[in-house]
Amino acid sequence: MNEHSSWRGVQYLDTGWVGIAFTMMLVLFILFNIKRAGKNQNLFIRRIAGLNAIDEAIGRATEMGRPVLMVPGIGDLNAISVQALNIFAYVSKTAARFSSPIRLCCGNAAVFTVAQEIIRDAYQQEGMVDRYDPDSVRFLSDRQFAFAASVSGLILREKAAAAFFLGEFFAESLIFAETANSVGAIQIASSTQSTQTPFFIAACDYVLIGDEFYAASAYLTRKPVLVGSLIGQDWSKMAVGGLVLLGAIGLTVQMGVFSPKTISRTAQDTVDVPTTISVVAKKDGPYAPYEQAIGTTVHTFALKKGQVEESDVPLTEDGQKVPMIAPRVITAGDTDVMRLFKPQKDKTVSVLREQIDKPPKDQIVPGTDVPEEDK
Amino acid sequence: MLFAQVQKSFWNEESGSSALYIKLILALVVGFATMALLLRMPPRGRRAVVVGITFLSGLFYVAFYLWPKPLPGVDGTGAPLDPAKPRDFVEYVGFYLKDALPIVADFSNILSTFLLGLGVFSIIRIHGRKLIRRQTDWGFSLVLMFSVLLMVVVGYINYWQTHYGPDPSKLELPRNWSFVQYANDLLFNGLLQQMDAAMFSLIAFYILSAAYRAFRIRSVEATILLATALIVIFSLMGVVAFFWDKGVNGISGATTGGIAGNFTLTEVYTWIKQNVQDPSIRAIDFGVGIGALAMGLRLWLSLERGGASA
Repeated sequence: MNEHSSWRGVQYLDTGWVGIAFTMMLVLFILFNIKRAGKNQNLFIRRIAGLNAIDEAIGRATEMGRPVLMVPGIGDLNAISVQALNIFAYVSKTAARFSSPIRLCCGNAAVFTVAQEIIRDAYQQEGMVDRYDPDSVRFLSDRQFAFAASVSGLILREKAAAAFFLGEFFAESLIFAETANSVGAIQIASSTQSTQTPFFIAACDYVLIGDEFYAASAYLTRKPVLVGSLIGQDWSKMAVGGLVLLGAIGLTVQMGVFSPKTISRTAQDTVDVPTTISVVAKKDGPYAPYEQAIGTTVHTFALKKGQVEESDVPLTEDGQKVPMIAPRVITAGDTDVMRLFKPQKDKTVSVLREQIDKPPKDQIVPGTDVPEEDK
Repeated sequence: MLFAQVQKSFWNEESGSSALYIKLILALVVGFATMALLLRMPPRGRRAVVVGITFLSGLFYVAFYLWPKPLPGVDGTGAPLDPAKPRDFVEYVGFYLKDALPIVADFSNILSTFLLGLGVFSIIRIHGRKLIRRQTDWGFSLVLMFSVLLMVVVGYINYWQTHYGPDPSKLELPRNWSFVQYANDLLFNGLLQQMDAAMFSLIAFYILSAAYRAFRIRSVEATILLATALIVIFSLMGVVAFFWDKGVNGISGATTGGIAGNFTLTEVYTWIKQNVQDPSIRAIDFGVGIGALAMGLRLWLSLERGGASA
């Protein structure tokens, strides 16, 4: 496979292949454990308080004769909303057993149709399909704050005794949580948006944080496939943790433990490149042909939007930057670097670069000469 | 351009061409035939079809992720290549996947559009019944039904006039607006947007009440939370941060590398953000990402069966 082989896709250039290989490893972890869990039925899952509280919340609603409210977020039909609906199916089954009324409010039409099917199935599995009210699953609005207003109105009018907010929530999360709190509802919440989790923690009784949300169906049903998948997730988390640790150690060593190196200079240069020579950030000069750059360390490389054509450099999805390149020493025959750093003929290329140097011991390195917003 | 977006592919045809109409009719026939087949099939067979379609749909994205995306157009000697022509089978498939991506993404948009009709039907059914039977709060339902109707009628007439009317470009200027444009502006910008903003602004008050409950000192954790929150709040209050930092910087050695320099509000806030907040969020995001990957795998391979995996 030569440098220009069609098998060397853009996504595999430089360190791109590492991410793909790592993802594949995580996939294998999950699939292997799903297969493994089929044989071993006694796998341990730690206690999750929010999930233990589900039955308590439904019991309370039954005692008070008020409905159980469920909201699967305002996201599209995706893995998150399907997971939320899976948990709601369990809630609905329990509610069906106690004849507690339920209200499932959807802000997305696709989620609504799937929710109808799942909740009807849940009642059917309990042998209580006659208790299923088609109006208990409702589509309210696909506008964020119209949906927020509708759900809040419903909570206030029907005085929900238990509220489950599980899924993809954004700014409306606190409106729901505070409204439900104002009517005294017991609340169990989880958002896959880490920005909303603090709001839920502040306002709700129980919160499933992060991947506890995905652990819920395994925890509630103890199905081997789900428990195996959960163990695969744990393996994956350990692998990610290990990699983070390795990265931290590597970076510490690279930056120097006892004689720390710092980013000594950040500069933005506009370079007219008349030929197809490769350019790299060089230690002692602005830019140099590839041959002269051998032995230097490249730290970062980013192109400003609109200054190069898409065909010059493999761009990321947002079209703004080439993938960040890990600090590396350029060696002779380093063709990937050469390709990534090759600008088009006669094009002006603006390059933001940082250099790692050892600062002179007796000298404080001057500040940056690049405005903060341009970095 | 690098990729073959401008090139005619399996997925596109010239506008108005007979080939386009033939493809459209074929797609409709296949769609209706599939739907009819699914409806007539026994549940077990239907499930097999759904599993198959789910797998194929997911396979497309997996292939798009893994299949080598064509490199910038250079041949073995580094000379530029014609970007519209794939060199070999690998690049041909790469171009094909790239061309097909927006089309495949549109499939889900089209499905969602169909489903939106079901959502609107649900609204009309629930509130229509409430209205007819004069159930509790039927007045709200009346307002909702009237609003939906008004918005739809005005919105469609406005859309038609501004896109297909006698002189659509003329309507870009407010002085040429008719009653419909004014009505649309009032309903959308004057009412709907403002009500959205009103709901959004409520969050400020809710934050206050939620923060009051969260920051009450009940335990060690709540106390730490309160102290951290106060530091962050104060560091974002310009006047407080200015005077605090000024006071700290007045301590001997604070500005020349002394230990006191670490206790300015901005330094402490930055430390909290970089060493406590960001790593925690990243750790949570790792877990969420891996959970989504596992869930996606189970859905793609149809290992997830029924609600609550029943």
